Amino acid sequence: MSGAPNQTPGLRYPSNKKTIYDRNLNRSKNAELSRAAFAYLFVEMISYAQQRVRGIADLEKRLNTQGYPLGLRLLDLLLTRTANPLSSIRPTRILPLLQFIAQTLWRHLFARPADALERSESDSSQYMLFDNEPLVNQYISLPREMSQLNCAAFVAGIIEGVCDGAGFATEGVSAHSVAEQEGGGGEKEKSAKGAELWPGKTVFLIKFKQEVLEREEILGRG
Amino acid sequence: MSYNFTILSPLDVPLFTHEFGTSRSGGDGIARFTSTERAQNPFILHSALDIVEEVQWGPSSTSGSAPMYLKHIDKYQNNFISCWITGGNVRFLLLTRPRDEALGLTQGGGQRGSLAGGRAGLGGGSGLYNPTSPATEEAVKNFFVDVYENWVKTIMNPFFAVGNGEVVKSPVFRARVAAAAKKYL
Repeated sequence: MSGAPNQTPGLRYPSNKKTIYDRNLNRSKNAELSRAAFAYLFVEMISYAQQRVRGIADLEKRLNTQGYPLGLRLLDLLLTRTANPLSSIRPTRILPLLQFIAQTLWRHLFARPADALERSESDSSQYMLFDNEPLVNQYISLPREMSQLNCAAFVAGIIEGVCDGAGFATEGVSAHSVAEQEGGGGEKEKSAKGAELWPGKTVFLIKFKQEVLEREEILGRG
Repeated sequence: MSYNFTILSPLDVPLFTHEFGTSRSGGDGIARFTSTERAQNPFILHSALDIVEEVQWGPSSTSGSAPMYLKHIDKYQNNFISCWITGGNVRFLLLTRPRDEALGLTQGGGQRGSLAGGRAGLGGGSGLYNPTSPATEEAVKNFFVDVYENWVKTIMNPFFAVGNGEVVKSPVFRARVAAAAKKYL
């Protein structure tokens, strides 16, 4: 834990003597990535995971794990890019955090905000984020025996990373296809209509841990 | 004036430490901690973490977001602690130890009466050190903003395991922190 730098005789610099610290953080602010490149990589990620697991739940878990570190990094990066860097702020309540995810994060990843954000009526620790047509699923076709799989588990992993990084521990973030008529009560009618218009409509269920809700309540009361 | 800067993960694992002295008004930038003080510093910093966790959620009537710069949060004897918390809950703690540089020149390491009196009266060196003065806060904030930018660049590295308590070993990062310290502190 001492302050002395380790001897790194093997540290090599690229030929133009520039390290990662010389790159500007906003350099890729408006950069766009080729959709084909992403689709190619994503398909490879799925088949990589598929060879190593048995079962759909494991496959979704693998995709979730792959997205998690992305969430941690994007949280800090997007916070530095918000309007005024010197008056940096970070979200401390659930609703601003979810709005940050639905607006800023979604715009950064998919160039459009998420479609809806709701709090579940049956379970107060559960929030639902809707996306009518997740970009990641666009080039994935599911065989009949795997129709329960939703590859947006990768995006669910990103969301989980953002929530965990901000200090809002989650029990899990999962992606479900709404076409399966999940959800109870009044939500069922809404989701049925939605499923007709958008066959790929996906809901991300974010379930926060108990201590997060307690803290939220204390902060709300104060 | 000597400083000890530490980066701690959300699970209180130290990821980076750096000691330096002030470069202002003729300081040479080298920390002047005695060996007992140097051994005490980690304890002081870790005990300040409790306060960080209390304060980090902002005043209770907040609108839903808290600033990253938590300013001066703790004081122990003659040490002042300021904190910056990143979006990812990583803590930057700066321990400031004001010291009378002139005293070090006259009596080599001796404890003079005025220094003891200075400690009791919160004085040290040229006049009173006020950690909550806008000038000090501004300087420390600029330092933190600089280090935060370099920190974000570090975690953007896909080979750096964020959230797993991986220590920052890059000498380039250390050089950058030292440069920021020289510029603002």
